[in-house]
Amino acid sequence: MLIAFIVALLLFPQTPQSSSRTIAIDESLAAAAKLKVGDRVTLLARPGGEDFAVMTATPAGYSPGVAPAETVIVGAVVRRGADPSEVARGDFLIRMHLDQLQQISGYGDRVDRFAVAAKRSAAVTGLLKQINDVAFGFRGYRSKDIAVETSRTFQVVSRFHRAIGLITIVASSIFLLCIMVLKVEERKRDIAALRLMGISRWSIVKSIIIEAAVVAILGSGLGVALGFLVSLVVNWHYQAVYHTPLEFSIVTPEVIGVSVALSLVLGALAGILASLRLVRTPPLVLLGR
Amino acid sequence: MRLVLARASLIRHRARTLLAVLGVAVAAAMLLDMVMLATGMRESFRQLLLSRGFDIRLAPKGTLPFDTDATIPNVGAITSVLRSNPDIREISPVLGSSIHIQAAGRDVSGSVLGIDPTVQGDYELLSGADVTQPGVMVANDHLLSLLHAHIGDTANVAIGYDPQTRSYSGQRKLEISGRVRFIYGAAEQASAAVRRETLDAMESDARRDRASLFMIRVRPGADPDRVRDWIETYIPTVSAISIATAIAQVDQRLSYFRQLAVILGAVSLFVGFLLVTTLITVSVNERAGEIAVMRAIGITREHIVQQIVAEGVAISVIGALLGLALGLVTARYLNAILSAFPGLPTAIDFFLFQPQAAWSALGLLTISGIGAGIYPAWRAASLPISETLRREAIA
Repeated sequence: MLIAFIVALLLFPQTPQSSSRTIAIDESLAAAAKLKVGDRVTLLARPGGEDFAVMTATPAGYSPGVAPAETVIVGAVVRRGADPSEVARGDFLIRMHLDQLQQISGYGDRVDRFAVAAKRSAAVTGLLKQINDVAFGFRGYRSKDIAVETSRTFQVVSRFHRAIGLITIVASSIFLLCIMVLKVEERKRDIAALRLMGISRWSIVKSIIIEAAVVAILGSGLGVALGFLVSLVVNWHYQAVYHTPLEFSIVTPEVIGVSVALSLVLGALAGILASLRLVRTPPLVLLGR
Repeated sequence: MRLVLARASLIRHRARTLLAVLGVAVAAAMLLDMVMLATGMRESFRQLLLSRGFDIRLAPKGTLPFDTDATIPNVGAITSVLRSNPDIREISPVLGSSIHIQAAGRDVSGSVLGIDPTVQGDYELLSGADVTQPGVMVANDHLLSLLHAHIGDTANVAIGYDPQTRSYSGQRKLEISGRVRFIYGAAEQASAAVRRETLDAMESDARRDRASLFMIRVRPGADPDRVRDWIETYIPTVSAISIATAIAQVDQRLSYFRQLAVILGAVSLFVGFLLVTTLITVSVNERAGEIAVMRAIGITREHIVQQIVAEGVAISVIGALLGLALGLVTARYLNAILSAFPGLPTAIDFFLFQPQAAWSALGLLTISGIGAGIYPAWRAASLPISETLRREAIA
């Protein structure tokens, strides 16, 4: 992420230079600028012609005109990491050596941040305290704390998905109840006959609950299979749209468990509500007598 | 007669009809919400862009306005070039920067815009005076509350802060002259505005005479797209963005929500259709004998079909009307969730009610209701009369 600076990329034929350094560019930039490994490009920190593609931001303190253009060789075309915060931005990304970027950007001997890996995860708290005790002009943070701060967008999307899920559950419950009422009412003569034969109300209710539960489990099994297929399509589609390996939809065992449990409970409740209506009605009335 | 029979049939099974209407209502609510989501974002964004009458924005080449910290150099020269086009009526250069304000021993950071108050289109003045003099600033409520400041107070405003030496750069005392609401700003954003020359004077020499954005009004009757093309030809260091281009860019970034809206809308419609079809089919199966009797006494097939289709349409329309009311409530709830997006302008609505959205949802549900009634109606009309009557008699 050290390359989150403005970098303009100018393409024109260059005289071969043996001392040129290499950069890595991401797939989308390679496709947009028709670049391949071995091509020479000139990097500038600001736009200066019609063929430029500006990348991101000018760092504070940058002095235009100070940094000279630099010709480099495309050494690699890389696939970007699955970073959700970048997924919809469509920015191009170049990876280069730190000193090279500092020179081009006119940023001097400065960096945006240091990433520090502790030898043992248990030592992170102590290490962080040591760093912050001696820090002058900067502050250390745990990666997970930063992740929480920068994930507000996804928390909003997640809340939106949960709200949509809730509406879907309400709709499914009504649908299920409606189907169970229809199924039970279709068999009101059978139920009347069973009651006249001496079968208890509770036995009839139990049998309907079991039937509803079986229907719910079969339906949820079908739903899980369909969900899995839809998840594959969603990932394939959005990975292609945003040029990212990020997985947009993941079917986890927890999701399957919650879905099956929910449909089982809803199915059983629908069965109870539908059957109670019929077993409370006298059998002869059900037979139309 | 047909409608009376359809009504009688629906009333006969009240619980079943009520459940079907409820099911259709939830599906209709979801459908309305998704139609609102699919069209609302774009319309809301378009209204926001048009709210101040600026047709074109100029941003540093390859960027969107304020998407990066990049700036456009040579404001004076660019303004002269723009003024040479007779179709351009007004030019408003805007410089954006971050600010640091010392207040009660702590550092409050925010953003500042350098504008020309006579042509600015970034904020509305709520109270006090605009930035008519160089030494004043206007601030939004969030910044004022962070500073515990009021109109008439003075603030030590700096545009740079070096955390290593803990020193401020480009510092200046500014009087708060007014309270404003930034049109494109987010609710949680602490923002201020000063005259552009004030901000220019606070910047280092290297960053003088630069702008983050130009906003341009074209002459009435002029084609903004032609002006945009002209600008991109004569000023190659900028990207000229018309309203249509900006909407297309936002569409691309928020395509996820539009596609989600289309998929969920289609699923809602299908669920509503399935529910009505199931209900009417079961109802027709139960009434097979009754329908056979009607056919035997001379009632035509068309009559039967129309009666059964009317039942489907009645459930769909009643459910849809209920659903439209429910959909408006859920849309407000969902909009409140999405409005919490960091950095989203407060004026943007994801779910924007437009009568056309309601008519679209109602129309789709009515068509689905007709479609839902066709299959059971066809089955009912095709029943063999004598065989059905015999079967019913045996039963």
